[in-house]
This record gives sequence, C-alpha cells and structure tokens, in this order.
Amino acid sequence: MSAQSYGRTFWIAVAIGAAVMAYGAIGLVSDAGFGASTNVAAWLAGADVANDVVLAPLACLVGAAVARVLPRWCRAPVQAALLTTGVLLIVVFPALRGYGRDTVPDNLSVDPLDYTTSTLTALAVVWAAAGAWLVLGLALSGVGRHRRPTCATPRGRSTLRR
Amino acid sequence: MIEQATPRVFTSRLHDERNAAILGVALGVTFTVCFVTGVLSHLIQDPPSWFQWPSRPAGLYRVSQGVHVATGLASIPLLLAKLWVVFPKLFAWPPFTSAAHIVERLAIFPLVAGGVFELFTGLSNVHLWYPWPFNFRSAHYWVAWITIGALVVHIGAKWAATRAALFVDDASTDIAPAPTATTSAFDRRTFLASVFAAAGAVTVFTVGQTVSPLRKLALLAPRRPDTGPQGFPVNRTAATAGVVEAAHHADYRLSVEGKVRRKLVFTRDELVAMPQHEATLPISCVEGWSTTQRWRGVRVRDLLTRAGADSDAEVRVESLQRRRSYRSSDLNRWHAHDPDTLLALEVNGEALDIDHGYPVRLIGPNRPGVMQTKWVTRLVVQ
Repeated sequence: MSAQSYGRTFWIAVAIGAAVMAYGAIGLVSDAGFGASTNVAAWLAGADVANDVVLAPLACLVGAAVARVLPRWCRAPVQAALLTTGVLLIVVFPALRGYGRDTVPDNLSVDPLDYTTSTLTALAVVWAAAGAWLVLGLALSGVGRHRRPTCATPRGRSTLRR
Repeated sequence: MIEQATPRVFTSRLHDERNAAILGVALGVTFTVCFVTGVLSHLIQDPPSWFQWPSRPAGLYRVSQGVHVATGLASIPLLLAKLWVVFPKLFAWPPFTSAAHIVERLAIFPLVAGGVFELFTGLSNVHLWYPWPFNFRSAHYWVAWITIGALVVHIGAKWAATRAALFVDDASTDIAPAPTATTSAFDRRTFLASVFAAAGAVTVFTVGQTVSPLRKLALLAPRRPDTGPQGFPVNRTAATAGVVEAAHHADYRLSVEGKVRRKLVFTRDELVAMPQHEATLPISCVEGWSTTQRWRGVRVRDLLTRAGADSDAEVRVESLQRRRSYRSSDLNRWHAHDPDTLLALEVNGEALDIDHGYPVRLIGPNRPGVMQTKWVTRLVVQ
C-alpha cells in the first residue's frame, strides 16, 4: 500500500465532515441525554469490534478454507453461494430467532412466516442458481477445451488447469 | 514518503484498491440515498417551521421510505464486502505515515462503527426488535449524521485514489502478492458480481413487503402486505396501546374543538350518518412495508367546515391512547384540507378492526404510518 498525498480538498472535506459529525454528536447528547449517549457510543464501539474481530476474520477463514479444500472448477460458484447465504442469514436472523415476535406477542402480522421454511426455500434458490452457474460454466469451458487439440493442449484439454 | 505494508497472511488478490474503490462508490451512493430519505422521513414526522410536507402525490412517502429500507438492506452485503476487502489495511505498518494520515484513519472509526450500527439498528427495527438500552429513532437519526460526516472526510481522503483505481487498467492495479500463493478461480469480476448478486438477492427476498406484486417472494421480509387483521399488517395492536375498553365503550365520542366557532361532538353512529367519502390510499410504515386499501369515512375538511374552522387551519389528531409516543399527530394545512384525508370508519367495506383503529382512524395521502393516528377521539384545531 503506497503512502498517499493529501491536498487542499482533503482538509476542506475534514472541516465539513468534522462539522457534520459534531452536529450529530451534539444532537445525540442533547436529544437522548448523556447516559443514553454513552450507551450509543458503547454500541458503536461494539459494531466496530463485531466486524473487525468476528465477521471479517471469519470471512477470511472461510474464504481461505474454501480456496484450499475445493477444486478450482467449482470454487467460484461455491464462494458466491456461501457469500449470499451468509448475507441472507444476517438479514433474516431476527425473524429466524423470533426476536420481533417475542416483543409483540399479540401482533400476528409481525414476522408472520415460518422462517425456517422460508429461509431454506430462499437458500435453495441461491444454491440452485450456483449449481446452474457451475453446470453452465463447465459445459462452456468443456466446449472450449475439447475443440482444437494443439501442442500445448494435446487431446484438447488445457494443461494449465492446475 | 513513508510506505506502509500489510501483513503477508492476507494472500487473496481480492484485497485490492480497485475492489475497494468500486464497492466504495456503490456504498457512497446507497448511504447517501439512505441518509437523504431518512432525514426526509424525520422532517416529515418532526417538521421544523420552515418545512411543510405536501399531501400529494399520495404515494410519495411510500416510495421514499420503501427506498430507504430497501437500500439499507441492500447495503449490508456491500458494506461487509467492502470492510473485508480493506481488512488488511487495519494491520498496516507503520500505522500512520503523516499527520493527515492520522486524521484520515481516525475518521475511519466513526465511519465503520456508524455504518455497521446504522445497518444493524435499521435491520432490527424493521423486525420490531430492540435489544439496546436507548431510543431507536433518536440514535439511528443522530448516528446517521455522524456517519455521513465521517463519510465526507473519507471521500475527501480517497477521491484521488478512487479515481486512479477506477480509471486505470484492471491488471496493473493489483497490489497484493503474486497469484502463486493461492490461485483462486474467484477473480475480481466474479467476486464483485457475487457481492452485487447478494445485494440483489436480499432485495428480491424482502422488497415484496412494499412492492405488492412481489409479495410471494418476500421470504425473508418481516412483513407481508397481505397478512394481518382484515388482510394487512398492524404495527401497534389495541391491546398493546391499552385502548380496547375505551374503544368499545358506550361513552366513546369524537369531538372537534380548539379554534372553532362551534365545538362538535359525535357518537360513532352520528359519524356513520354523515356524508361518507371513499379513498384508495396506501398505509406506508416507517419500517418499510406498505399496502394499499380502500377506506371509507368522513372527510376531515367537512368536519372543519361544520365546526367553522379557518380554511387554512392546522389540526392535531388525538388518540384514545393515554401515554406513549405517537398518541397524536398533526395535520398541516395541506393534509387537513385534502379531499382524501378521512376519519375512516370502514376498510374494504367492513367496519375497521380494533387493531386498525376502531371506532375511527385517520387516513390521509402521503403520510407515514405512525401519523395515521388510530382510535381517534379528538380533533384540536390549532
């Protein structure tokens, strides 16, 4: 990563941005009070930690594991489907755990579905799409591979696959 | 100039400037859209003296708030992908290369924390789940300003680098180690396509909560526009609001008072006997769901005329609810005198369900759901 130069534009942005941030911070304290504002600050710090200590390292580990374990020909669709699965689970997890329903037990219109079934349905669609991508990709590359045998690709198969 | 280095443990070629730039531009757009639509919603609910929200077009708030929630949900994969791409920079050494660099990196904390906070609290709020010890609306609103301020600093710092990364040849921008370490079939194009596809999947599986034709696809949405009493959702039930007894009581009256020539008092039957007006209007919740229904009831402006109120009068609409926020809402002069602003007695040909506001609810064009006051008992002309 190369060091970066900072011009006048940067310092103008700092001035504007700092003013906007100060407006938000002062507004928060005067609206919510000091006690609630410290709670908000704690949750802000927690949000940062949740990403930097949990989510991002987890994504790195899963990505590295998939890259190591899976053969190259199926890696891309599986990575894409895993990424989408993770995101969809984040979006639906309050409903999946019933958190919303628990706060308003007499309101049957909040989180009204059987979210286990509906989440599995959505994930089935995602993995079916990944499967279609895989099959289509293999078919297309197969066509390309088997076409013209050359010195570099005897029997029409690329030797550069691994 | 001092050069920074990132740890070699991050071998993926996807941790590079071009991915960071492309996702950064996408997030710049989605966060700006969320911020503008969010501030708008806030102004509508708490209007300062210089702001008057019109009553037309009737579905404008439905669109702006639908966009706010859908864009926020779609930002979740974009933000997580962006933070993953730049994750190695967190461990760059030396941590600072100049005074300006210290300022830039300090602004990253409110940006990341604020971004994650806004998306998490927004997501929880659409599920009506509040696991924190502070008021959602206040915190979500003010932290949005902090986040946008940090975003301005970040854009100022990254403007040149982003332009450079976007407008130079794809191959020459790779800054990670050579691809020998772990060759991956998951290249840049595939990675970015997957991130945007994930954002698309989130949208497809949730946007049906407000785009009715897609409701069957809303597998992950907290609401279905066709599910609830009388076929549409409720945010606060009569039992939660503590109004069941008062709403069914024989002593229930609707009064029109305040700055009027004649104070008026009606029983529900007397309201039913008045000229009725029908309007097909959306009810558009702040949480991002919406649904269009056919309402029937008495025009607010007819009541104002009968009471002898001024033709540009503003009105406070009060509920039977004793406590809690949203027990009343204000009609500015446009909303109060719009021909479709009703005190509804019926929906789709039936008397209102008590959870939809029986005996009488306010329904008007282009208003947030929380300002469509239910269990109305008093109109106070201002």
